Amino acid sequence: MQWPLNRSGLATRNYLVDRVRPNVAGSVTENSSASGTSAVRFAYLIGVLAAFALTLWNIPPAYLSAEWAAYRNSWMGGSKYTEAPPSRTVSVAELDIDEICSPDFDTWRTAHRIDGVEIEAVSDCAPDNPWDIAVSVRGANNVTEATLMQSLFAPDAVEKGDDRDGDGDPDVIDIRLEVMELNGKSPDGSEVVPQFEIGPGITPGFWVFAPKTRGMTTINFESLVANRIVRLPAPVIRIEQGDEVRITLENSHYLPHTIHFHGLDHPFKTSDGKGNDGVPVFSEHPIMPGKARAYQLQPRHAGTTFYHCHVQPHSHILMGLQGMLVVEENRPNNWVQTFNIGAGRVRSPSVAVREQYDREFDLHYLEIDSTLNNRIQRFNDPRLVSRSIHRGYNITKRSADYFVLNGRSFPYTLREAMVVVNPQQRNRIRILNGGSEGLALHFHGHKPRLTHRDGVPLSPGQEIQRDVFWIASAQRVDLELNTVNDGLNAYGAGAWLLHDHREQAVTSNGIGPGGDVSLVAYEKYLGPRGLPLAVGGLQSLAPFFSSAYYAGELPVFSGMAGHDLADPEQRAFGATNLWYFWIGILALMWLLIIVPLRRWRAR
Amino acid sequence: MTGGRRISVAFAAVFVATAASIHVVTAQEQHHHHAHHDHSMVLDRDGMVMNANADVLPKDCTEVSADLEFEVRVGRDYARRGLTFGYNQHEWVVPPCARVTVTLINEDQVRHQWMVHGLPRYLYPQGMFHLEVSGEKRKSGTFIVPSDDRTYLAHCDIAQHMEQGLKGQVVVGSGNGTLPSIPGISAQPLPDDYASGR
Ligand SMILES: [Cu+2]
Ligand SMILES: [Cu+2]
Repeated sequence: MQWPLNRSGLATRNYLVDRVRPNVAGSVTENSSASGTSAVRFAYLIGVLAAFALTLWNIPPAYLSAEWAAYRNSWMGGSKYTEAPPSRTVSVAELDIDEICSPDFDTWRTAHRIDGVEIEAVSDCAPDNPWDIAVSVRGANNVTEATLMQSLFAPDAVEKGDDRDGDGDPDVIDIRLEVMELNGKSPDGSEVVPQFEIGPGITPGFWVFAPKTRGMTTINFESLVANRIVRLPAPVIRIEQGDEVRITLENSHYLPHTIHFHGLDHPFKTSDGKGNDGVPVFSEHPIMPGKARAYQLQPRHAGTTFYHCHVQPHSHILMGLQGMLVVEENRPNNWVQTFNIGAGRVRSPSVAVREQYDREFDLHYLEIDSTLNNRIQRFNDPRLVSRSIHRGYNITKRSADYFVLNGRSFPYTLREAMVVVNPQQRNRIRILNGGSEGLALHFHGHKPRLTHRDGVPLSPGQEIQRDVFWIASAQRVDLELNTVNDGLNAYGAGAWLLHDHREQAVTSNGIGPGGDVSLVAYEKYLGPRGLPLAVGGLQSLAPFFSSAYYAGELPVFSGMAGHDLADPEQRAFGATNLWYFWIGILALMWLLIIVPLRRWRAR
Repeated sequence: MTGGRRISVAFAAVFVATAASIHVVTAQEQHHHHAHHDHSMVLDRDGMVMNANADVLPKDCTEVSADLEFEVRVGRDYARRGLTFGYNQHEWVVPPCARVTVTLINEDQVRHQWMVHGLPRYLYPQGMFHLEVSGEKRKSGTFIVPSDDRTYLAHCDIAQHMEQGLKGQVVVGSGNGTLPSIPGISAQPLPDDYASGR
């Protein structure tokens, strides 16, 4: 027999039995018979052999070399072929479209005319509320009471008056913003409040600018979910070139904040000599909790700009205090849509945009490091939050784990953040990269044309056409997406992917598809309630709408005909064998070390 | 789950659309969900008063037992240490069936609310009486409390305002307990860990 373990084991056993023998005899009473002594000796021998066999049989393969594993197999008969374990069956709940896209939104998707405001039809699963849009265009002071009541705005969220240049539209605009926290801590329970999911079950903490709202922040008292205008991203603000605009920030938050207008024409000081640049130390003191301050703007140039908090900007901007601000070109009778809630399609575009384009979209990108954002979920005391955010977090060690387009990650982008087009269209796409990393935006099936960078139009010779646009941090680009099927501008209709090509950005904390994945979707590729048609039907989207998918609990490939690549069931050297192995080791230690030692001491 | 919340967004919208109308109006034809209720809301640039009721007795009351008036002041200046906002007091004790007129005086430049929950729904839509004041203004409203001894939540629902100190209780009669996290009165179930600060 060539069994080294066995041989050495036997040797050890013989040696110990020899040594133990007198002890065994000595430990029994003097009256014990010779047969009694030999029975104990026999039981001891059997015990040692049994413990030894138990240990050998259950040595995990990982503890043995291939050679020794083969020895064991040949000796113990473990060399038979065994079938690999079957796949684990994974059940995914049926996708309930009523839960994904409420039927109550059906009336919000159609074209509307409210208080004289023309609102375009959209196909989005989660469309903007048309009455919110009507108030945004007319101003809360110029709509009927019924319209205001169907919006969620406060009566002074946006007020419009005085046609200074007599061209048929208001030129004095008053806008009020509040600072809201999303997914923050409550001392009363472990759930975050008020809730805003970027994806299924994904709730990083955020601070956002929100249009001044009224009543409850949540959708009702029973719910912890934030109402539809308190969300990420902060609203896109639209004003007209030359408008006298006052933007008042009511700091309803527990930390100081300001607004800085990046790339937007504004004087360094207001008309009454106060700071107007939003920068602490040089321009002004931050707006303390419970206080308000008005900023004044009268932009001489049109373009896509950026507004954000400038208090401790390396954390406040990335906490979500940032938004797009679009200055539309001056035209007669130009009532612009002051708020585009949640960005995306502009349902009431300006006159200048309508002159040149069929549709207009606002795309706001942001990457999130949840180790910053989730700090607000740990503390209630603002001093502890402040210390953790401003002193505990080291941005130089930053690593982003979530990526959002218009406040959502895939698959929630499919509900409200797709670029939905038809063939033969010119679409204007305004893009902001609000994150601290560059963005390599890739359009499948299209080569859009860059028309503006940072709000400045490019001359025809400078305009470039490509399929990946590198957009720097804080940069804005305006693109023309032409859907004429000529093999250059577009390759024809489809549900074409639209995503940041830095590969981490197509995941949610490493699980893909997630992140800022969205679509350039042609209408004929849309199914019920505006969800894109998927191979395998709506049901094939179901796994992505479950939080289990983004917890990494669902296999990538499952239920694929012919090729089963789901997770195998766990088997073999599992927990039980490991228990037996250690029980054997302990028994051997007891029999071969403790027992002889005690005998020896007793002697 | 997620979708369920979405649906409630729409319901909330319908509710707001139907339950509310400006300047003390009663139920209207377009009410779908609460058509049998009298909803009232006064809304202007200074704030709003919702579901005020100075006349209709709760079912279990035979008469108004007392007419009370009190002021609630709200703002940063009333914040306890470690919090941001506060009311001048966080508990209001009233007799059963009392008619209570509250004036909410806001000393901050932002919105604040004094919103009472858990009132009988047949009288107060969503079981709620609500005062809201925008900026340094004031608003008054009246409601009648039921006869049973109960403790009602009064708070500000703006994001983090309740968590930051705007939480109080209206105690009718001897009440039925004390709510958690009332500044100066009761402990937080999940308090901050000042030992480690983590
Ligand atoms: Cu800030
Ligand atoms: Cu408040």
